[in-house]
Amino acid sequence: MTETLLDIAMMHSDTLIARAKAGDQNAQGKVVQLWYKRIYNFSFKFFQDHDMAMEVSQKTFISMCKNLPSLQENTRFKSWLYKITVNYCREEVRKRKGSRSLSFDVVWNREAEDSPQWESSTQRFDSPERQYQHRELADVLQEALIELNDEQREVVIMKEYEGLKFREIAEVLNISENTVKSRMYYGLDALKKILERKNINKETIGYGL
Amino acid sequence: MAYKPSEQDLMAYLYDEMEGEEKNAIEKYLLENATARIELDKLKSLRGMMGQVKDKEVIAPPIFVGEHQQPFYRAPYFKTIISIAASLLVVMLVGKFSGLQIGYHDQELKISFGETKAQPVQSATVQNMLSEQEVQKMINNSLAQNNQVMQSSWTETQKKLDASVVWNLTVSSSKIDKLVKESSQASQNQIREFVSGMQTENMRLVKNYFQLNSSEQKQYIEGLLVDFSKYLQQQRNDDLQVVQTQLKSLENNTDLFKQETEQILTSIITTVGTSKSVGARN
Repeated sequence: MTETLLDIAMMHSDTLIARAKAGDQNAQGKVVQLWYKRIYNFSFKFFQDHDMAMEVSQKTFISMCKNLPSLQENTRFKSWLYKITVNYCREEVRKRKGSRSLSFDVVWNREAEDSPQWESSTQRFDSPERQYQHRELADVLQEALIELNDEQREVVIMKEYEGLKFREIAEVLNISENTVKSRMYYGLDALKKILERKNINKETIGYGL
Repeated sequence: MAYKPSEQDLMAYLYDEMEGEEKNAIEKYLLENATARIELDKLKSLRGMMGQVKDKEVIAPPIFVGEHQQPFYRAPYFKTIISIAASLLVVMLVGKFSGLQIGYHDQELKISFGETKAQPVQSATVQNMLSEQEVQKMINNSLAQNNQVMQSSWTETQKKLDASVVWNLTVSSSKIDKLVKESSQASQNQIREFVSGMQTENMRLVKNYFQLNSSEQKQYIEGLLVDFSKYLQQQRNDDLQVVQTQLKSLENNTDLFKQETEQILTSIITTVGTSKSVGARN
């Protein structure tokens, strides 16, 4: 995972967190700006739903601003924030299981309404065919992710896309490091099987060419 | 025992979260074990594929968090306590206005509304008016009276019973005597009739039996004789036929024999005749 300026800023945000904890609204706003993309993307990969991801992100940051003074160690901010996010995600899953309503995105394809992906794509200089392939693979992978059970999905997203260490994930989920590794192993194994079932592999997608 | 990395070790190695001895051990194991190496390569390529899912760009919306603290009366626990207290107050008020009284006395629970009224206690006054001896006397009197009445009714019923028994006995004994007499007379006559009837019946039966028997035997023997004569006749006919056919066949045979001898004779004669004529010519 290549580190962006945002990632570097996130890594060195101790003073910012200290200020936010002290009640500095400006600092709180900056922390939100820094972490919003990460939390949104975690929630989006978890639900595959923009609205749900937005809702969870909003709730997470409101809760963060309210409860920041109760954070014991600033170094644990990252796992603390993901813990809040995971809790809200689980709450949403429970709600969704309770009410069997149809998500609006299922009826109305939001993606189709948005601006074309290539506008913001980093591979804008690729050939259209290549772009299409990437997009398709991303969709298939997202679908595969959603097929995992909640516990495995949490761990796989946190490890693979959020780059948390196993120790940090264990802290977020309040479980042992070995359990996290086991869930990761079985999550990857399940993903592999799902992709095999969908007949997706290195050769079929032309990955690495 | 040979080292075999666990699932956890594999994950730690895959994500480069392993150091020192453990890392060396797993690397050595991977060098020696091709299947594990292939397995790990597959996981690496899966990770490579997963890397194709890029983050979505999103702009953080402004998040407003109210500065002021929530007043204590809006706190959920406070609301709960207040609601419990209010409902208790309502219950108490209703109890007060309806004059609810609840009491437990002498193993008896009383729930009442309004004022309690003193119940008139009559039994106590009665008790006070009568002494123990008087009560005893009253009981004795009533018992004696009762006994008298019972005694009189018993004697009366006893008398009635005796009278009815005597009357029943006389009536039934006369009836029984009559019946016995009738039955004895009737039985003598009946026996005689029965015996004579039996004798005649027996005679008739035996006669019939013999008659039937003799006629049946006769018929049977006649049938037997007829069948036997038929059988003999048949046998005779058959024998005759056999003799006849044998005679016929004998006749045929002799005819045939005759013809054959004739033929032979003629052939002999002709041959003898021809040889003689040939000899004469020579």
